[in-house]
Amino acid sequence: MWVQLEVFLQTLISGVLLGGLYALIGLGMTLILGVMKIINLTHGQLMMVAMYVAYWLFTLFHIDPYVSLLIAPPLLFLLGMFLQKTLINPVLRVESILPHNQVILTVGIGMVLQNMATIFFTSDYKSTPVDYATDAWYLSDYWKDAPFELSLSYPWTVSFLLAVGITTALWFFLAKTDTGKSIRATAQDRDAAALMGVNVGLMRVITFGLGSALVAAAGCLFIPIYYLFPALGSQFTLIAFVITILGGLGSTMGAILGGLILGIFESMTATYVGMGWAPVGRFAIFVAALVFLPGGVASLLKRKAVTK
Amino acid sequence: MRRTAALFLALVLTLAWAGQVQAKDIVLGVPLPLTGAQAKFGEIIKKSYEIAQEEINAKGGVKGDKLVLKFEDSQGKPEIARSIVEKLIDVDKQPVIFAEYTSACAKAVAAVAEERKTPYLVVASAADEITQQNYKYVFRLNPSNAYYASGLLGFMAGVVKPKSIAILYESSDFGTSGAEEMAKSAEKAGMKVLLKEKYEKGAVDFKPILSKVKAARPDVIYMVSYVMDAALLMRQIKELRVDAGLFAGGAAGFAIPEFVDNAKDAAEYVVTATLWSPQVPFAGAKEYFETYKAKYGSEPSYHGALAYSSLYVIADALSRAKSMKQDDIRDALKATDMTTAFGPVKFLDKDGYQNQNFMETLVLQVIGGKHQTIWPEKYASAKYVFPIPKWRDRK
Repeated sequence: MWVQLEVFLQTLISGVLLGGLYALIGLGMTLILGVMKIINLTHGQLMMVAMYVAYWLFTLFHIDPYVSLLIAPPLLFLLGMFLQKTLINPVLRVESILPHNQVILTVGIGMVLQNMATIFFTSDYKSTPVDYATDAWYLSDYWKDAPFELSLSYPWTVSFLLAVGITTALWFFLAKTDTGKSIRATAQDRDAAALMGVNVGLMRVITFGLGSALVAAAGCLFIPIYYLFPALGSQFTLIAFVITILGGLGSTMGAILGGLILGIFESMTATYVGMGWAPVGRFAIFVAALVFLPGGVASLLKRKAVTK
Repeated sequence: MRRTAALFLALVLTLAWAGQVQAKDIVLGVPLPLTGAQAKFGEIIKKSYEIAQEEINAKGGVKGDKLVLKFEDSQGKPEIARSIVEKLIDVDKQPVIFAEYTSACAKAVAAVAEERKTPYLVVASAADEITQQNYKYVFRLNPSNAYYASGLLGFMAGVVKPKSIAILYESSDFGTSGAEEMAKSAEKAGMKVLLKEKYEKGAVDFKPILSKVKAARPDVIYMVSYVMDAALLMRQIKELRVDAGLFAGGAAGFAIPEFVDNAKDAAEYVVTATLWSPQVPFAGAKEYFETYKAKYGSEPSYHGALAYSSLYVIADALSRAKSMKQDDIRDALKATDMTTAFGPVKFLDKDGYQNQNFMETLVLQVIGGKHQTIWPEKYASAKYVFPIPKWRDRK
């Protein structure tokens, strides 16, 4: 009985830790989608770029990946602004047969980034072997006669807490600052915002930069617990996409909940159905969200708010 | 004086021209995964081919002709490997095919080669069915998946004596067939298979499945994974303090130095099946290892040794073949009987396999942060550590 409880709790812990990181990956994409109505399909590739920055900082200067949180996200912020300004904005202005060619453009940017990474860094796997990679806290170290053993990985927990911190900071930024309010106004109604004197074009550029910086932060938090190769991006673009849909296109709170739900759901699937089924679970929940909850988690939140 | 000079010049020109005509190059296209997730192995294999190529050409090539290798990137995708090989055979009229790395690609290539009646020497792809389909033109240098673990099973039977086993594997051709074979052999050896779980490559978090393994308390945890997954698995096993009598890897990821670099202290005492180590007593093995290390600054794995040796097998077959025709090369390959840096090579039809090279496999253990050969004992470079300490008792 204790054994089963141990398996369940350990799975739950893994799920929450994974979900926290997923949420951070999804947040950036949600933000960009909310403001610009563009599905940014180069999201994972931007994360890959940030991870290379963190990797090289670690390899060349022995800068801990957590410290590169102060370096990689600002760099990616600039890269994101650059991409928006020079590539996406011009395409937004062009009248074309395809209404969604910005989306296709982001796929293209992603491919360019991935193949450039392959050319420059080869497709070898890289990792940052930090000293604390295998450290963990154990329940039995604190509670001698614990009937079961639970463990909390050191890097996973630190990454999770930092993700929560960054998310809180983002919430504060969006809710309290002028720029944040302008971004939210742009997301709500672009024309009205423009009429109110919000520089919509600038907000778009900032938002794309912010989204890139967020996913860059996720990359820095990911590299101590995972590894790195140029093709890694598409896998995480997909995860971000699922979270964005699950969260309800464009809702920040929805993305956070969506990330947590996905993390826990995947972990539970892995334990109780089989690890090979985890990706199936991911897409099952994706399809289910589209069919039964087209507004995502956000619509639930809103419905509650209305009835209150 | 001027006449002598003119004569001399004429002589040089004639020689140069004659030289060009005599030494035809034998140009061979080699499909390999040079980009994509398997590129790491493609790279090792490519570098090893290059070392062998240089050595063979320095010794006079094949019947005086130079070997020239032309590498083509298959990205580890069967459909691309297939089209590369179709081009090599149909357009370039290449009479013999070798290389590729993943089992899925090798299967695709083998089908093309058999259809076009062109001999194909498989290097490093381990899925059993490649040489089990009555193919007449497909040869394999490495023992197949079913035989990978034979050394490991010997070690388990002789030393560990386990009663139960949990098997974790990657959902690729290689992982699946490795896990199937292990499950069969383990049951034959009287072990109970408590768990057999596959995972999708690129998985981030193995902890859910590992806590299930922990609850099942197997004597042996056997994993078939490529390198980064192998390191993640061991790191998370340490994190959860999953104790077992033996942590065993089925070659590939566990047998290369990068595994220890990435798993760090979690890699200690892990044993792995492997096909080759620099300590084997075959002529040229140590020299190849030293050359590779000096040239590229890293250590080759058994994949490299296989590739290196396979070019010697090809060169040997080409120099014995009656002509450069496909069937003559096939007959020459079939008659191969030589010892390479990888070990003795002979292509046999046995136990449902065709044109398969059978050989003893080794067991390595990570001791003091280094892979040491521990089994069979006649090849051992260090004494094995067993029983292994529990995680709680390690520093």
